Amino acid sequence: MFSDSITTASISSAHNARDLGKKRRANRSAKLKQCKLDARREQWLSQCTAKNKECKEEQNSGGQCRKGDKRSLENLEMSSRGEEMHGSIHQYSYFESPSNSPTSANSSILGGADSGTNFTGSNSSSSSSSSSSSGGSCSGCITEDEEGGGEDDGCLDDWEAVADALAADDEDKRQNLNPCSESPPERECRSQLVSPLDGMSLGGGSSKPECPKMVSGAWGNSRAWRPDDACRPSSLPNFSKQQSLPNPDRHYGGGVAWACNRVLPAPSSCPICYEDLDITDSSFLPCLCGFRLCLFCHKRILEADGRCPGCRKPYDTIVEAESSINGGNPTFRMARSCSMIARS
Amino acid sequence: MIDFARVQKELQECTRDMEASGIRVSPKGDTLARLIGTIPGPIGTPYEGGTFQIDISLPDGYPFEPPKMQFATKVWHPNISSQSGAICLDILKDQWSPALTLKTALLSVQALLSAPEPDDPQDAVVAQQYLKDYQTFVGTARYWTETFAKASSLGVEEKVQKLLEMGFAEALVRSALEAVGGDENLALEKLCSG
Repeated sequence: MFSDSITTASISSAHNARDLGKKRRANRSAKLKQCKLDARREQWLSQCTAKNKECKEEQNSGGQCRKGDKRSLENLEMSSRGEEMHGSIHQYSYFESPSNSPTSANSSILGGADSGTNFTGSNSSSSSSSSSSSGGSCSGCITEDEEGGGEDDGCLDDWEAVADALAADDEDKRQNLNPCSESPPERECRSQLVSPLDGMSLGGGSSKPECPKMVSGAWGNSRAWRPDDACRPSSLPNFSKQQSLPNPDRHYGGGVAWACNRVLPAPSSCPICYEDLDITDSSFLPCLCGFRLCLFCHKRILEADGRCPGCRKPYDTIVEAESSINGGNPTFRMARSCSMIARS
Repeated sequence: MIDFARVQKELQECTRDMEASGIRVSPKGDTLARLIGTIPGPIGTPYEGGTFQIDISLPDGYPFEPPKMQFATKVWHPNISSQSGAICLDILKDQWSPALTLKTALLSVQALLSAPEPDDPQDAVVAQQYLKDYQTFVGTARYWTETFAKASSLGVEEKVQKLLEMGFAEALVRSALEAVGGDENLALEKLCSG
């Protein structure tokens, strides 16, 4: 207990002079991260909106009001880790001396936002009753800690015990919820997404990356990063698909394009001259049989016997047939080529 | 003008899966317009065990025009001239498609060896024998395979021996002979230059 308070004092006094430069750097990268984070968050929220609107409302309010709690939790946690942790120092100095430079304030706000998101994520998955219960226990713990003031040590032990219990509880809930609801994998995804950003912004890119991991690990949010996590293999591929390619069908309207592509995979090079097909070539479908070739070879064939190399039928009649099928309206072909360009 | 880039790639591709297909295409001399194709006789036919060489000459319009192919090895087959080695095969004439390659064309020739079409003969004498006296046809075809399609490989061994006596390494000699399509003098030239 005694040594801890010494540590606290040394952090508050020595930190400002020492890490000002680092903080500036961290601030710049933190702003960048914040932008990215906001974008992703919006994306996620919009996805969530599409699924269940009333749930979103709850999450937002819950996330907002618990942001502060979570922040102070992190502050507490980090102060116990000692002064060698860069990220924790940011948080700490902000709370210890509010008149500090805006740099640290900014970064710790970011940290707060991050953790708020984290918290929201974990809340969103569990049912409203369970989330509120866990939140309540958390805040209760915090209040106790804040009241305790200098007696960090005892509170910390309590808090860690509670956090462990919460993590275990959380895991149980997840296991219970996993088979029946859609949201737990999403929660997994969200926490995976946030945790690395969290780590980078808090760590300032220069110091201990395990610091934020430990913090969020206590909440079970970065659980997916652990190699021994049972949920990891199933949720990880889902995550990358969902985040990197959000609903490709919806965005590209690619049903037709996919169907075409599946029937006849477009070759990467012209089968006649073996040159690479560019976008124009690969969207060029001169024959109903689906045989693709580059425009040069097609022109050359038209000059000679004019038969498709794939099916040996004359190109002209096929084009006529196709236009008669479409009623002479070229919109169908236009649409198809457009979709293929979009796809490639 | 021949699309030499395509021919080059075809040769590379052919060399890559030579083990699987047994079909080999190599340039004859220093131009890619004249090539030598080699196909093994199909198993279960009178041509089994033989190695047949086919002269290929690429027209200017290749691949929009079919390659000219002709057996360099004498074959007893209704659709192949026993005199000139000319091949009667539709894909080498009006049914050619630029999507076909030298390898697929040679595969078709190999398929023709195992499935003769006596009703559309190139060599009328052979076709008559095939239709009227099949056993004799099989005997003659086998005899020709033994005599001509295996003699060439015997010839290769003799050439290899000759070049070995000149002091070249066996692996080099064989690859050089393969590269020039079995011509002893060209192989010697290649060995001296390389």
